[in-house]
Amino acid sequence: MKKFMRVLAFGLVASMMMTSGALAADTIKIGLQAPLTGKYASEGLDMKNLVEILAAKVNADGGVNGKQIEIIAEDDAFDPKTAALAAQRLVTSGVVAVVGTYGSSITEAAQDIYDEEDVIQIATGSTMVRLTEKGLANFFRTCPRDDSQGAAAAQVLKDRGYKRIAILHDNSSYAKGLAEETRKLLDDKTVVFYDALNPGEQDYNTILTKIKGFNPDVIFYTGYFNEAGLLLRQKKEMKWDVAMMGGDATNNLDLVKIAGNDAAKGFFFVSPPGVNDLTSPFAKDILDKYKAEYSVLPASIWSVFAGDAFLAIVEALRQTDSTDPEVLSDYLRNKMEEFPGLTGTIAFDEKGDRSGKFYRVSEVNANGEFVMLP
Amino acid sequence: MEEFFQQLTNGLAVGGIYALIALGYTMVYGVLKLINFAHGDLFTIGAFLGLTLLTSLGLTDSVGPVAGLLVLAVMVVVLVGVVGYLLERIAYRPLRTSPRLSAVVSALGASIFFQNAIMLIWGARPLVYPHGLLPNITVDIFGVELPLIRIIMFAISVLLMCGLYYLTHKTRIGTAIRAAAIDQGAAKLMGIDVNRVISLVFMIGPALGGAAGVMVGLYYGQINFTMGWLYGLKAFTAAILGGIGNIPGAMLGGLLLGVVESLGAAYISIAWKDAISFLVLILILIVRPTGLLGERVADKV
Repeated sequence: MKKFMRVLAFGLVASMMMTSGALAADTIKIGLQAPLTGKYASEGLDMKNLVEILAAKVNADGGVNGKQIEIIAEDDAFDPKTAALAAQRLVTSGVVAVVGTYGSSITEAAQDIYDEEDVIQIATGSTMVRLTEKGLANFFRTCPRDDSQGAAAAQVLKDRGYKRIAILHDNSSYAKGLAEETRKLLDDKTVVFYDALNPGEQDYNTILTKIKGFNPDVIFYTGYFNEAGLLLRQKKEMKWDVAMMGGDATNNLDLVKIAGNDAAKGFFFVSPPGVNDLTSPFAKDILDKYKAEYSVLPASIWSVFAGDAFLAIVEALRQTDSTDPEVLSDYLRNKMEEFPGLTGTIAFDEKGDRSGKFYRVSEVNANGEFVMLP
Repeated sequence: MEEFFQQLTNGLAVGGIYALIALGYTMVYGVLKLINFAHGDLFTIGAFLGLTLLTSLGLTDSVGPVAGLLVLAVMVVVLVGVVGYLLERIAYRPLRTSPRLSAVVSALGASIFFQNAIMLIWGARPLVYPHGLLPNITVDIFGVELPLIRIIMFAISVLLMCGLYYLTHKTRIGTAIRAAAIDQGAAKLMGIDVNRVISLVFMIGPALGGAAGVMVGLYYGQINFTMGWLYGLKAFTAAILGGIGNIPGAMLGGLLLGVVESLGAAYISIAWKDAISFLVLILILIVRPTGLLGERVADKV
């Protein structure tokens, strides 16, 4: 009997596969290129799991333009050579668009292949600046690029109406890059002070006294939480009540421990959200489904970007009622506006970089907790 | 002008700490002609021991804040003194008659050992002294707002330095230390127990470093296992600046380095702060190769 069931099951599966082959014209194939093996396999599997949950939801709601979505996943093993092969396999399998992948150099190995074959690619964990500087018509990404934090920081400083801004970094390539990027985007007249401190010291009174002489209304420190904590503490000791902002390297609760609740209160920083910070009803619903299925949340925000890439593709297909890459690309680049994704709103600029609101501001409250502002 | 005085006091506060640590370098060098590279780490040990004793014994709760901190400081000073003694017995005494380079290598090894031991015992993340131990009172002196604690810290540093000066120049034991520094062989012939003198020097120097460690921990709050390296480097520079082997020189060098750093950062560039202070060091050494107060010693041929 058991054997019979097995044969029956096999037969069913086989016939299903045949029908799906026969109905191929009725599905829209979307590729997923991800590291399903290798050292970042966990990221790749998270990506695949999330995209499959989203695809199942889309299909359960009736699909797109009357057709079901079919996900074709290919493994790139976090290796450029494997990635090129994966990309080749995906373009020959007739996908209209590809989600992925994780790792800038891996994405770079595949992006030309997709572009030549007119397949839309929306990268997810690839922050290297030059990926979108090549002028590829079909390339997009849902993750921020390495220099976008500066833009976000400058925007926050402008939005809060600061007129006299002191920028301080610690000469590390990360902090210096962020400081330079921010300064470029601010009006020269508003940056009243720009210099670097030596990380690892204990006494920053000299620096604070000097900055105080320039009478800024905010200090933007782009370095790490350790020095930021000491600066806050010594600023408080000087009884100097000036606003202070940090970059995502200050997103560490040790900052409050070092500064003390009193001194840290009101400090705010610009940082990408973590998976736990995704609190929109839609994101919550999807992540709950994910948790129900796999018993844990995605390990990092990077796999959630794959979900956003998939959603953007589906939205483009829906709005254009077309699978023509030129039409899709045009829609994504020029017409998509503030589309609600998992990590915030999604839109793309003329280069294909994500332009929707993504970086978030968190502030330290009176109890020394980080509170993400809406 | 007000800002100038503010920066001057900032520099003196840091310089006081440098001077206190520099004394340990200079004393050991004076007697043994050895640069004790592990000295910065003894300072770190002082800061960490202080935190552990403070939180585990609850001294400030049982005997009041002032007495509690005093008892704490004494305990740390004694303990770091013991560590210094052990360091000398284990890492330096067996090499006393070997070429000087062997002792320097041993000192570097001891430094690496201490730094890693601290990391393994207390962890690699920064630790924080409890908040609110010290009152945040500022005093107005000639229009310059100064935190009271900084003045007290500076006063304690100066007091400790004066105490050390008194010890080395006005007491019998101090005479023995100076005698051993000039000529160990002759000192031995005069009936001085040179080994005891060296042990003593290795207790006093680290003890002062330990005291500096507790003060830094109490005042700045945050301590980490690598902090001794930077302080050690600065204090070593201060010792050279003042003339290594010379106790008033170490004090002067420490304060001067602190002030140069602070004024350099204030009026030239913060990022170039260290470059400026080392430039000053080089210039002074070109003019006075033995340091500010260093005595010119004729080379024996």
